[in-house]
Amino acid sequence: MRLLTASAGSYPRIGKTPDLQLLRQTITQREGGKKTDADLKAAEDALTGAAIVEQAGAGLDLVTDGQIRWYDPISHLAGKLENVTINGLLRFFDTNFYFRQPVVRGPIRWTRPLLRAEYEMASAASPKPVKPVLTGAVTLARHSIVEHPPYQNDFRQLVLDYNEAVAQEVRELAAAGASVIQIDEPSVLQDPASMGLVEETLKRVASFKGTARLALQVYFGDPGPILERLLALPADIVGLDFTYNPGLVEQVAAAKPGKSLGLGLFDGRNTKLEDPQTILRALDRILPCVQAEECYLQPSSGLEYLPRDRALDKLKRLVAIKNQMRN
Amino acid sequence: MSREKLQKLNLDLPLLPTTSVGSFPKPPSLLRARNDAAKGKITAAALRAEEEKATAFWMEAQEQIGLDVLVDGEQYRGDMVVYFAEHMPGFEIGDLVRSYGNRYYHKPIISGEVRWPGPITVEWWKFAQRLTAKPVKGMLTGPYTVMDWSFNEHYPDRKSACLALAREIRKEVEALLEAGAKIIQIDEPATSVRPEELPLVVEAMQVVTDGLPAYFITHICYGAFRRIYPGMLEIPVDNFDLEMANNQLSLLDLFREHRFRKDISFGVVDVHSHVVEEAGAVGKRLERALEVLEPEQVWVDPDCGLKTRSVEEAQEKLRVVVEAARRLREQVANRSAPAR
Repeated sequence: MRLLTASAGSYPRIGKTPDLQLLRQTITQREGGKKTDADLKAAEDALTGAAIVEQAGAGLDLVTDGQIRWYDPISHLAGKLENVTINGLLRFFDTNFYFRQPVVRGPIRWTRPLLRAEYEMASAASPKPVKPVLTGAVTLARHSIVEHPPYQNDFRQLVLDYNEAVAQEVRELAAAGASVIQIDEPSVLQDPASMGLVEETLKRVASFKGTARLALQVYFGDPGPILERLLALPADIVGLDFTYNPGLVEQVAAAKPGKSLGLGLFDGRNTKLEDPQTILRALDRILPCVQAEECYLQPSSGLEYLPRDRALDKLKRLVAIKNQMRN
Repeated sequence: MSREKLQKLNLDLPLLPTTSVGSFPKPPSLLRARNDAAKGKITAAALRAEEEKATAFWMEAQEQIGLDVLVDGEQYRGDMVVYFAEHMPGFEIGDLVRSYGNRYYHKPIISGEVRWPGPITVEWWKFAQRLTAKPVKGMLTGPYTVMDWSFNEHYPDRKSACLALAREIRKEVEALLEAGAKIIQIDEPATSVRPEELPLVVEAMQVVTDGLPAYFITHICYGAFRRIYPGMLEIPVDNFDLEMANNQLSLLDLFREHRFRKDISFGVVDVHSHVVEEAGAVGKRLERALEVLEPEQVWVDPDCGLKTRSVEEAQEKLRVVVEAARRLREQVANRSAPAR
């Protein structure tokens, strides 16, 4: 069993120093007509590079592009699909972060690759493998306003049509060389009844992944009540949020998972640094029970909910604990 | 009905009173002053003078526009949680965290026992009230939201952090009442984030308001109301200030299922859009409100604080609120006038 370290998604896109405020300033100046689209892209590239440098510098084995270009986890994808427009703000789960709600006005259609260029830029800039992250179809659908009548009484079809777009994105990302592709489905923890749809959509997405490995990530809730079903889903890696249920470590160990896990033992939502002994005890309990070649020690969620300095502190501690395991 | 309570407090308000949620945009001169103060280029007294000037500007603007219940406009506050965290021992101010899109705030960190340091907002309330004969709301952020929007490194769990804050925030309410405030708004926009914690929101608000002689309002926005309604009506306040325009009045469907039995400050203009709505369209929203609510229950205001709009946009949106309420007031009066 190898223990690797990974990022779980987003990374702060702002920081204390002027170079880390570049994106915020550029967006504001572009809205005022003082900067161009090219300026914005350059700022996004710069902050993406900074996110990668910090993750890789902390020692992570698998990094992300920090989702620096994403307005939010929903509209970045949904808003670029045909017949979907973007509406007002709504709170994203139990965070103090807000997303713009997609409005589905007609049949959802994918017309062009959305993430491939972002992935290729990040991959070229990174000394470590980059894991592209997508929001899954069930979560996209659950956060949408549906005005297209055929979908109003057919949630499954809405999900499946979103999923075709997700599947096309996965095909593009796999073709671009991604070795691990992450699908986020936080909604399933609030809505366990959608588990069947998650299974159906992942099965379809898996058929587009080529040689890449598919990672399902769930967060912002306790996966305990549906753990066995999550572990049985057609994903190569299942990432879990351990911050909602102190009993989850025992439950996971008892489940004897037969696949790689993303162990979200570091709270991506609170600045308090984890006690190394607590994490080491959890790893000692879980890892011997997992029948897979590797597991990933990671934050419970994306890290953009933390100030940048605290996010980096978490990653450094995470890597330090992994290194302690090795010794 | 809380009209009786308003009368007991000697608050003589018209039908469909107009108000605003709390914050107004800061004029460019104040923004410059805040920037300069942060860099140490001007003194605290110079910044205070700019804040007072901006507050006076908004008090006059509200009078001119014709609002019935005024606010001080929070020209001296940055973020609604950070402001209190900056004043209360027990907090550190963290680095920037994104709120949405390109908006960021300094999220506080609870790193010790929280404590009320003495009056925080009272001098500003007095300053604003001196400038008008109309009632000015005392404006506070509620304990659940302060807890939820802060990192917690001190208390063992969310509940103990929230109730500790509630005990301290109550002292600020008492200080406002002692100064003469009769309407206190305690914002709890985080109320719906964890529906299972609604009892904690209720318990904390009880700690803050229990037995105190004021008309209490709470503002809740951008939430999954379906998950907390009608249970949220148990929060011990008189008036719920809710964003209605942003969610296309969908809350009215909930009110049809379960009667809304308290007063409501009905948000009728979207605060996140540059577009200033037509008074006619806003009036239609209000008419739809009166399909399920009694006129005596309804106050009228924007969806949320207006601080993200320009000064001009904010004033225009407030004018639309007042105009729409006036028109509807006349309609209601005509409807209830005896036929000749």
